[in-house]
Formats: sequence, C-alpha cells, structure tokens
Amino acid sequence: MKLIKKQIPLAIVLVFGVLTLVSYYVPHKLSVDYIETMNKWENIVAAFAFLLGLVSLFFSHYYKIKRKADGWGYSLFVYVGFLAMVIPAFIWHGKQTSELGMTSLGWAFRYIYNALSASMFAVLAFYIVSTAYRSFRIKSAQAFVLFVAAFILILGKVPLGQIIWDSVLGWTGQGVDQVIEWIMGVPAVAGKRGIMIGIAIGAIVTSFKIIFGIEKQYMGKD
Amino acid sequence: MLKEKLEKFFKIDRRCIFLVLAVVLFAPIMKPLGLPNKTIARDTRNAYEFMDKLPAGSFVLFSLDYDPSTRPELHPQAIAMIRHAFKKNLRVGVVTFIAGSTGLIEQIFQTVPGEYNKVNGADYVIFPYMANPVAVMTQMASDLYGIYDKDQDGKDAKTLPVMQGIKNYKNMSLIICITGTAMLDYWVAYVGDKFTVPVAGGVTAISQPGYGPYLQTGQLKGLIGGMKGAAEYESLIQAPGKGTSGIDSLNLGHVLVLLLILTANIILLIIKYL
Repeated sequence: MKLIKKQIPLAIVLVFGVLTLVSYYVPHKLSVDYIETMNKWENIVAAFAFLLGLVSLFFSHYYKIKRKADGWGYSLFVYVGFLAMVIPAFIWHGKQTSELGMTSLGWAFRYIYNALSASMFAVLAFYIVSTAYRSFRIKSAQAFVLFVAAFILILGKVPLGQIIWDSVLGWTGQGVDQVIEWIMGVPAVAGKRGIMIGIAIGAIVTSFKIIFGIEKQYMGKD
Repeated sequence: MLKEKLEKFFKIDRRCIFLVLAVVLFAPIMKPLGLPNKTIARDTRNAYEFMDKLPAGSFVLFSLDYDPSTRPELHPQAIAMIRHAFKKNLRVGVVTFIAGSTGLIEQIFQTVPGEYNKVNGADYVIFPYMANPVAVMTQMASDLYGIYDKDQDGKDAKTLPVMQGIKNYKNMSLIICITGTAMLDYWVAYVGDKFTVPVAGGVTAISQPGYGPYLQTGQLKGLIGGMKGAAEYESLIQAPGKGTSGIDSLNLGHVLVLLLILTANIILLIIKYL
C-alpha cells in the first residue's frame, strides 16, 4: 500500500519534475516535444479540475440547502446564476451575437454578469474612502512618510491634482510627475525588487523540496 | 466642549461618506468638467512609441485578461491600443486566459474593426479562451497551432490570411497584455525573457507601481496604468474614449480621498494638543 500511495507518486514527481526543469534549459527537439506533450496533458487535467470543482460546488450547496444551514437561500442563487449563463451558452454555442442581434447569452453576459461583477468591485471604492477617513492616522514617522508618498501619488494621478500642485508648489520648479517618477523609480522599485527576489528564492527552494520528496504535504495525510 | 464636538466627526455615519462619494463620482458623468490632461506618463508614451514604430503588417498579439470588475480601467486601454494597431495597419491576434473576458473582447470587436474597415480572419483573429496560461504560453513558443488550431468561430486558424507566416513568437513583433491579474508577469517571465519577444502591458492603477523593476530593465517596453493611462493613450492616438470621459470622476474622487484623510488628521492633531 505504501508503494502505491507514497513511493510511486514521489517517483513520478521526481522524474517529471527533473525532466521538466531540464527541458526548460535544453533547446533540443526532444525536450520541445516533451514540453508540448506535457502542455497538452496539463490542459486536459485542468479541464477535469474544472469539472471536479463544479461538481464539488454543486454538492456543497446542495447539502447546505438540504440541511437548511444559515443563509441556505443564497445557495439557490448558485444554481440560478449557473443555469442563467450555461443554458443560453449551450443554445447559442457560446456566441453573444448572431445575425438577429444580441443572443440571450450576450444579454446574460452584459446585463447580469457584467453588471453584478462591476457592482461588486465598485462597492470597494466606498469602503476604501470610508476607511481612509476613519483609519489613516499619522501617529508615527513611518506613517507620515507613507502619507506623504500616498498624498503625492494620489494627487499626481489626476489632472486636477496636477493643477493644484502647479498652483501651490509650482515655485519649486518640480512638476508632480517628476516627483512621482522618482518615488516609483527609486524607493518603490527597491522595495518591490527585494520582495520579488525573496519570492523567487522561496519558490525555487519549495520546488526543489517537492521534486526531491522533502515536502510531501500535497499528498495528504494518508 | 470643542474636543467633544470634534470627536463627533470621527463617529460620522459612514453612509454620509458613501453619499458624498456617490455625488462626487456621478456629477462629472452628468456634467463633464473637461479638465486638460497636461502630462503623458513616460511609460505610456514608450508603449505608444514602440507600437507606432512597427512596420505595417507586423503581427501584434493581444492577451486581454480582465473581466467586468476591472472593465472601467482596462477596457478603454484595450480599445485605445487596438485602435492604434488598426490605424497602423498591424495584424492583430487576441487570446485570453480569463473566462469573463470573452464577452468584453466580443464587445470590442463588434465596433472597433468597422471604424478602420478591418475584416475578421484577414486583419485580425480572435482565439478561444484557454484555461492554463503557462502551458499555453510555453506551447506557443514552438507551434501556436498545437493549442489554437481553430479560431473563436471554429475556422482553421492556419489557413486564415491574418495568420500567414505566423507560427510562434519568432514571427510576432509585440505582445501586449492588458490585465487585472498577474498575467503580465507570466508573459514577461515565460515568454518575453526566454524568447526575446517585446512585451508591453496595461494594468490597473493599483498594481502599476509593482511593474517598476520590469520597466527599468527593459523587460517591459511600456506600461499603461489605470484610467489615467487609458486617457493618455487616447490623447496620443487622438481618439478620445471612455478613459478621457471617466477622468473627471477620477479627479474629484481622488481629491475627496485626500481631503478626508487631511481633515481626519487635522482634527486628530487639534484634539491631541487641545
């Protein structure tokens, strides 16, 4: 049992992990063919993952409705939303327009999905503004630096801010766009570059740990 | 007494702030202020100039990876860049790795090609949605027809006039990724760097500062950031669109945020030293 559940999966990960890593650096026809085959397999696996996710989603909401769990009514909308998009998509073969004009899929996309998705994201703006007023307190030197940088960036991002800057600080001879370029090009890039290098090293180490069987959490507890 | 009065400002009902913001955003849409956009960001100009210098007939691949949630910022960018490509008689290919993007792509290509008498299959091609970006990007390096054998309408991609002479990245002059996700990072890391294809991008204003390192090293040829970036690109191609018209709301919205933060902190200072 250990052989099937542990040793064989670990061997598969080791072999395919090393092969894929090597193929990335070897510009030979064999490695290109290997990568192409792997890409096709990956796409097929991804399609099955979609299906698995869908079935899992449906079952979890089905049980929520069956148990009449808190907020079970919302679970009904999972099915309503799904059917509202999928049925028209099947009928019109994924086309949003036809010779007759907008199809029911086009209508559902534009007036249901588009509107709901945009509204959900737009609501964030209201919370951000409210939180900025209530929580952005300059209580330390670091907070002050953050405030100054944010102030200049927000101001310089819109024409009205540029007009305000020019009329108040125009005498300095520095345009707000030049100050923004410096902030973005020096301190922001320095910070971002440090984060990126850290993430990359972490990802490399984790990948090696998985390939060589040191990290096995992805295999589950059994 | 004054202290207590000032403290009340912090307990203001947040719905009042919501209302003020709603008015500030809505009013300029009804009555535009028409403030001039005085500066064009260096990165926007670089993206424009790179595409502008491409010879007619060059193939530009657009990866449009955004859904309706980021539409106000990214849709005008995509429209402006596609308009520019058509204006320059470049061949356009479109791919997407975000399912919600397909409808938005269709909306763009319902109207924009007609403005420049461009024909589907001859001047541009739209490929269907694919789920696994990294696998698709890697595959396209050797033979893109291994993944995209058909276009969105089910036509054989290889035989389309727009695809003549195009097999992989070596035949492409520029890749433009407009996204509200990390897709632009993938294009830089898996395609731009490895296969030395020029990559430019368009992102939301909030994620724009994160691309500084790529711009400094030349891994990104240019970058459009947020609605202001869209407005800048629209002014460069002299075709005002949603980016230009939306900038007024953005103007007042930004100034409101600054005023609220300033007010809150001035009140805090007064309370502290009173």
